[in-house]
Amino acid sequence: MKRQRENAIVFADPERCLGCHGCELACAVAHSGTGLHQAALSGLTLRPRNKVVAAGGVMMPVQCRQCEDAPCAAACPTGAMLQESGQVGVREKNCVGCKVCVMVCPFGAISVKHEGSDPESCRTNGGVARKCDLCAGTGRGLPACVEACPTKALSLVDLEEYRQTLIEARAAELAQSLQHLKSRKARI
Amino acid sequence: MTMKLTTDPSAATLLPIAKKEGVSTVWDRHRAMQPQCGFGQLGVCCRICWKGPCRIDPFGDGPQRGICGADADTIVARNVIRMIAAGAAGHSEHGRHVALALQGVAEGRLPAYQIRDEAKLRAVAAKLDICTEGQDIPAIAAAVAKATLEDFQNQDHDAPCNWIEASLTKKRLERLQALHVLPHNIDAVITQIMGRTLVGCDADPVNLILGGIKGALADFDGMCLATELSDALFGTPSPVITAANLGVIKPDAVNIAVHGHNPLLSEVVCEVAGQMDEEARKAGAKDGINIVGICCTGNEVMVRHGIPLAANYLSQELALITGAVDAMVVDVQCIMPSVSEIGACFHTAVITTMAENKIPGATHVDFKEETALESARRIVATAIDAYKRRDPRRVNIPDFKQTAIVGFGVESVVGALATLNAEDPLQPLIENIANGNIRGIALFAGCNSTQVAQDSSFVTMAKKLAANNVLMLATGCGAGSFAKHGLMTQEATLEYAGDSLKAVLTAIGTSAGLNGPLPLVLHMGSCVDNSRAVQVAVAVADKLGVDLDQLPLVASAPEAMSEKAVAIGTWSVALGIPTHLGTMPQVTGSAKVTELLTQTAKDLLGGYFLVELDPNLAADKLLEVIEERRKGLGI
Repeated sequence: MKRQRENAIVFADPERCLGCHGCELACAVAHSGTGLHQAALSGLTLRPRNKVVAAGGVMMPVQCRQCEDAPCAAACPTGAMLQESGQVGVREKNCVGCKVCVMVCPFGAISVKHEGSDPESCRTNGGVARKCDLCAGTGRGLPACVEACPTKALSLVDLEEYRQTLIEARAAELAQSLQHLKSRKARI
Repeated sequence: MTMKLTTDPSAATLLPIAKKEGVSTVWDRHRAMQPQCGFGQLGVCCRICWKGPCRIDPFGDGPQRGICGADADTIVARNVIRMIAAGAAGHSEHGRHVALALQGVAEGRLPAYQIRDEAKLRAVAAKLDICTEGQDIPAIAAAVAKATLEDFQNQDHDAPCNWIEASLTKKRLERLQALHVLPHNIDAVITQIMGRTLVGCDADPVNLILGGIKGALADFDGMCLATELSDALFGTPSPVITAANLGVIKPDAVNIAVHGHNPLLSEVVCEVAGQMDEEARKAGAKDGINIVGICCTGNEVMVRHGIPLAANYLSQELALITGAVDAMVVDVQCIMPSVSEIGACFHTAVITTMAENKIPGATHVDFKEETALESARRIVATAIDAYKRRDPRRVNIPDFKQTAIVGFGVESVVGALATLNAEDPLQPLIENIANGNIRGIALFAGCNSTQVAQDSSFVTMAKKLAANNVLMLATGCGAGSFAKHGLMTQEATLEYAGDSLKAVLTAIGTSAGLNGPLPLVLHMGSCVDNSRAVQVAVAVADKLGVDLDQLPLVASAPEAMSEKAVAIGTWSVALGIPTHLGTMPQVTGSAKVTELLTQTAKDLLGGYFLVELDPNLAADKLLEVIEERRKGLGI
């Protein structure tokens, strides 16, 4: 049986987020295939795949959770959304831009719009589903948003490592209290 | 690693020491700042009112207007002209300071100063149309100071500043007048920029940029007067052989680094240091007192007195890491606040001197022209005292220094040319440009920036332009970088100049008594001295009966950083000079402003900005511009 490893996610710490939108800009540029100034100068329309949201006194970027049982993948009528290389991927060539994925995503993490310069033909708007792809294929070690965050509010979390760290921390606590009990018993 | 940050050979010795000692440098802080804010890089972030900060989505999906309704074009234009205002303010404060000192000398109030170059003072008076017949020097100085200070006081909007009127071609003045961008009063124009960029004021990007151009021309006015009056007070530069890079710091001397921009203090420090040399020897420094320069204060004393230059902007901290600088005396501009912290890691006394420029952790010695000698003595005594605390085990002076022949003011350039043709000194220069021996002239100016490996763009471009027979002038940190890298030597001319340029430089140098060619790049002084290059250009243009935008003349700030560079670059464009930038200006978030500065300017002014980050391509593009201009002149 195939070994199942949970998809990594970008985790945002609301206590550190300053709402600067730097992650959005970094995301948009990372997926443009060009640099910041060049993209701005040539008037490209680029869209970030994350969105800084402020609500209820909390502020943080929201992006795809890379759900294991992803509603978008289940609902996609063309099979464009699917589990692929440790994330919920979009096969853009299969996508018709029907927005079913947008409607079923509990986080609003998917957009369906055209990117780049304006589409030449008016027969189609050229929009396809786009969401956080953890910057796969951009050649960077860390997602651009994580790199760009000036307060380190964003991190890329590998769930297995995360869980391991958590387990070890709790076990260490337990060991400490056991030791404490033992030494108290010995004293009595 | 080091090579990516800087090409200064001293850094390879000193950066590992900084690392070992836990001293963070400008490059460490640059790295910690990565990646830098994209909104800021594009100039689309507005912090002008407290409804903000606002930022415009540069890619069209998010907000296209700030809370007040300002769009990217308005925001970018406002931001960039505020930078121009700040740059102009810096230069003109410097100029005002010098003008007031001249007035003080005229009135006999300042014992530390005198008119060192009376001929220059007379020439300045003549340039300003001041009648000097039968007048003594104090009276002429008073009249020059008065005419100069009018440029800060005139309230008649239709009467242009005296200095700008005296410093440009007639055609250029008419062209600028027609665009309503001739400044009438430096202070008023800077204030106007602040006023028009206040929340809810000027929102038209074209009108804003025109206001910025006026501010930049006010900057030019301030620079002209600062340069010329400094020459009258402290002497006009003439060629002198000296040295550059950190190897000029001496292990057995009390080393005093003068850093900043304003010659008023450094001149007196140099003089007093000479008188206190014996005290330094008594304190154990067998080589006495050694003054070295950093940044433009360094350039000022270098071109006037041959005092060696230790560092330009990005290596100012390295000077301290040598552990052998006993005092760093700073005045205004380009002084990294980090110097007091690094100084504290060693025995170095970092001394601030201007009431409006203090740094936490530094010692402040208040400097006033009236009591300049006392202040200077206190400063030198502080340095000698610090020397006694120096730990010789922590001294690491890199063994790098280059010879530099510097001090090419207008007078010395014309003087050298006069050895070829005394009747008409400009004739040989014009002839050589016309016959193609000199393809064109390039002025290198401006900063160092951590966006570029220190000095690399300057050096790369200069070598390429030299090989293509372009005559090069340099000021500021550009001049510092050429001096440190050995491009201000006769050997550099022989090695890098194209055949025809080599022949011209050799002919002039030999006949001027230099026993060989002029150096490859001519050091014209500090960044405030960019006005010197304009003077040469104006003289040539007037002689040919053309305007500045027709000459095969280009400017380049390949490692620009300061708001002052924004002001200088903008007036350079306004004077009709194609101006290269090697760092990305913070304007690309507005297509309109970018177009205005790089294209529309060409039609309106003849000059324009040319942005090219690759120094090799930049040199090619400047060569193309030069050829285009030559074609226009039919040569």
